[in-house]
Amino acid sequence: MKYLATVNETTFEVVINEDSYVTVDGQRHEIDFRAVGNGPLYSLLIGGNSYEGHIEGTDDGWQVLHKGDLYMVEIEDERSQRLMKLGGAGIATKGDYYLKAPMPGLVVSVPVKEGQEISQGDILVVLESMKMQNELKSPHDGTILRIQVNPEDTIQQDEVMLVLSPLDDQ
Amino acid sequence: MLQKVLIANRGEIAVRVIRACHELGLRTVAIFSEADRHAMHVYYADEAYSVGQAQARDSYLNIEKILNVARVAEVDAVHPGYGFLAENHEFAQACIDAGLTFIGPMPHAIAIMGDKVVARSAMRKAGVPVVPGTEGESSLRDEEIVAIAAKIGFPLLIKSAAGGGGKGMRRANDQSFMINALSEARRESEAAFGDGSVYLEKLIQGARHIEFQIMADNHGNVIHLGERECSIQRRHQKLLEEAPSVVLSDDIDLRTSMGEVACLAAKSVDYVNAGTVEFLLDEDRNYYFLEMNTRLQVEHPVTEIVTGVDIVKEQIRIARNRRLSRKQHEIELKGWAIECRINAEDSYRDFIPSIGTINTNIVPTGPGVRVDTGVYPGYTISPHYDSMISKVICSGKTRGEALLRMRRALEEYRIVGVKTTIPFHQKLLNSHRFMAGQFNTSFVDDDFSLGDRSDTDDEIAAVFAALAAHQYRQQAAHVVQRGERDTSNWKWVGRWERMHR
Repeated sequence: MKYLATVNETTFEVVINEDSYVTVDGQRHEIDFRAVGNGPLYSLLIGGNSYEGHIEGTDDGWQVLHKGDLYMVEIEDERSQRLMKLGGAGIATKGDYYLKAPMPGLVVSVPVKEGQEISQGDILVVLESMKMQNELKSPHDGTILRIQVNPEDTIQQDEVMLVLSPLDDQ
Repeated sequence: MLQKVLIANRGEIAVRVIRACHELGLRTVAIFSEADRHAMHVYYADEAYSVGQAQARDSYLNIEKILNVARVAEVDAVHPGYGFLAENHEFAQACIDAGLTFIGPMPHAIAIMGDKVVARSAMRKAGVPVVPGTEGESSLRDEEIVAIAAKIGFPLLIKSAAGGGGKGMRRANDQSFMINALSEARRESEAAFGDGSVYLEKLIQGARHIEFQIMADNHGNVIHLGERECSIQRRHQKLLEEAPSVVLSDDIDLRTSMGEVACLAAKSVDYVNAGTVEFLLDEDRNYYFLEMNTRLQVEHPVTEIVTGVDIVKEQIRIARNRRLSRKQHEIELKGWAIECRINAEDSYRDFIPSIGTINTNIVPTGPGVRVDTGVYPGYTISPHYDSMISKVICSGKTRGEALLRMRRALEEYRIVGVKTTIPFHQKLLNSHRFMAGQFNTSFVDDDFSLGDRSDTDDEIAAVFAALAAHQYRQQAAHVVQRGERDTSNWKWVGRWERMHR
């Protein structure tokens, strides 16, 4: 079974066909993967190294706590990839970046305009939440396609605030 | 008689105060906003009353509603915690007017220390060294300020008179920055505190933030409980504190002198109860009064550990008109304590807050570990209040032992559901400059980098998730074929489908 695991914007191809081997991006590793007790704690021995991970499934994907760091991993399997292709969901995957609100809050300012070219790290939206002003920055160079919020708007978590298209699309 | 205490706060500090009250056999009354019905302080208190909407100004900042609860619940005293109304002199006065004991200083002391400009001039008069800067009034016009700036010398800081937490603060490297920086600082200060007054302070380069814990009773006794080192800050927010300070632990004379000055500062405003005098300590070991916090501090536990004084219980004792339980010469700093503030923030993405439900919360334990928290598994971090999840406090005989213990404790800590600042602290504890104690207030902002998350760890996380997903899928498929699970097959199918929605 082939899985695409996306974590921190990097996608790994993980192939699992037998119990004691995985192939990650074409590289085959010997593994021993065990649940520790009945809980969400797992032990992974891979190429002699021992790792401990705390894994929980959520509606949005898998959360893996590994060495104190929490990773959000999206898993697609072959079937969902096939469905995506069949369903023509490819339109959304052209590379447009949808800036979603990471938390509910109040839009303080939107220091960019539609059509504006921006560089990686530019501030797209300033969102006030949890007593702080949070600067949401652009993950890459691109052009602002659409802005869907205005200053003073109260927005919900995961609401799309702005759409960015990568430069090479232009 | 003081028998029942209302805690005008929420989260971990409300829990901390409730614990002290219960140890003293006092009844406790919690208040909560609509967003906090399921907060831990509500469960721990003997009584709990709603004070309104989630927005702090409708609930935790609403003096009228809080005093109404105090009346209905027939409490004798109010503990304000930190933040919210803790440094609001009108609230302290309103409590007194309602016949309640305010567990804190008198309103006039809060008012003097609350206006940073007034506080500076009061301290100068009392003979306490202050950071060189504007003297006198805060209502100076821009031209006047620019003229004074040249005399003070650059670089300097423009600060909000009403300020705190770095809001309304701007740095000016030379004259050309002044006009812009002034208007920005005024605007930000006006927005945050409703007061655009600013003042200037010379920027002390390479300074450490050292603060002294003060305790004062109603009988004229004022002592200090030694210092805390709080130089590990990001954008003026403290992230890690320790007691004692590396610098003062090998310069006892300096500690004595700073401690005496801190007590002098407190006496000059007739201070009672617990308070903290903050200093900047420059590279030549000159120190300057920065401000006084007229309340319990977030980082009070490190002092409790090295002195053995339960500061919250001592606060209540003072409010009961008793004398301080210890004299200055009985205060001895033993061992070392470090506190890490664990916030629901993504260390790798500019410390952006992380909202969500904590599914797993396994708190570190074992020798020398204390965790003050207000969360539990199933608790949802809401966007209405600050992002602190807990404080991990580790102690040891030496700084080295405390540090290694903290490293071990953070490894044990398991929080799943939201991102936390644990990775930041882990990297910090591993940095050589932190280990060597060679840092100042600009260390985290200027000289420390989390670095990029390594690709290997991303890959391991990806493999973990893929294996878990694979196992889950197999189990689900299995269950549909043969009914050998003890849980209902329908439940399994439901979960399976949810995963793939």
